[in-house]
Amino acid sequence: MPLIGALPQPITSAPLVFFVYLVLILLIGSALASVLLRNTLYAVGAFAASMVLLALLYLAIAPFLLVALQLLVFTTVSAVLLIGLLRATTGLGASSVGRLSPEWIIGGAVSAVMFALLALVLGATLWPVQSCCAIPESFGGVLSNAYAVGLAVLAVIVGSAALGSGLMLAAPTGRARLSTPGLADRPSPRGGGSTTSRSPGGGGSTTSRSPGGGGANTARGSRQ
Amino acid sequence: MSAGLNLLLVASAALFAVGAFGAVARRSAVVMLIGTQFMFMAGALAFVAFARFGLGAEHGSAGAATALFAGAVAVAELAVGLAMAAVIYREHRSFALDADRG
Repeated sequence: MPLIGALPQPITSAPLVFFVYLVLILLIGSALASVLLRNTLYAVGAFAASMVLLALLYLAIAPFLLVALQLLVFTTVSAVLLIGLLRATTGLGASSVGRLSPEWIIGGAVSAVMFALLALVLGATLWPVQSCCAIPESFGGVLSNAYAVGLAVLAVIVGSAALGSGLMLAAPTGRARLSTPGLADRPSPRGGGSTTSRSPGGGGSTTSRSPGGGGANTARGSRQ
Repeated sequence: MSAGLNLLLVASAALFAVGAFGAVARRSAVVMLIGTQFMFMAGALAFVAFARFGLGAEHGSAGAATALFAGAVAVAELAVGLAMAAVIYREHRSFALDADRG
């Protein structure tokens, strides 16, 4: 009796093989574009496209719950986080085109038609999920039964990450400390001296550790 | 012509290489984070491929569950990394991570 059973056969259905090859080529291409593009917004767009392409690849080889999570949760959360960072930092503002303009209406209609077509194809034919016969049926049940501890740990990790990033964003930075009256004159939490006295090039405040004399510093050095 | 374990592992390796290049060779914090995301995606893809075509097919849910966990951890890492990038931008008005910036 062999210790290892027969391995699952590779996909041989011609349309499905073409689909997998096409998605893989597009996935590698969009990943390359994402790390090579100079424009950060375009890089984020290419990254979101590669996440969607990975979800399409999972559609052919993985349980449908993973496809849905990859497409609806991971892709959306990643794109929203990156776009939110760009809007909060580099001034990526709202579009100047009005919400009821023809561009928005045409774009929304095209997106709705594409999603409806995809839902129709998936609902009617279950392609390409049906072409792969070795897909586990109750992935959600297995996940909640066999990996309950893992899911709990995952919830703790995600919660800790959200809490940590929120605290990091809420904490005042050097610029904020210097621009806030009262905060700049307080002693540094690292002990000793003022937080405003780190400039080596002249200046120095009355509470400073700076070796240079002179008037009060208002910045953390000449590099700003 | 077929699509099996070898093809997906090669694609996974290529995706990991692209991510490593983005994380190592680029100076922008955002692109470095995107590179690490690609490395997570490559690992998840390899797990799913082994679960579908390799010895892991006996317990196919395990590979998919690992990919799910890897994706969630990647999103958590992205959230923390983006908060760090925002703090860096507040300090330096740039996403560039230079050693001589102090």
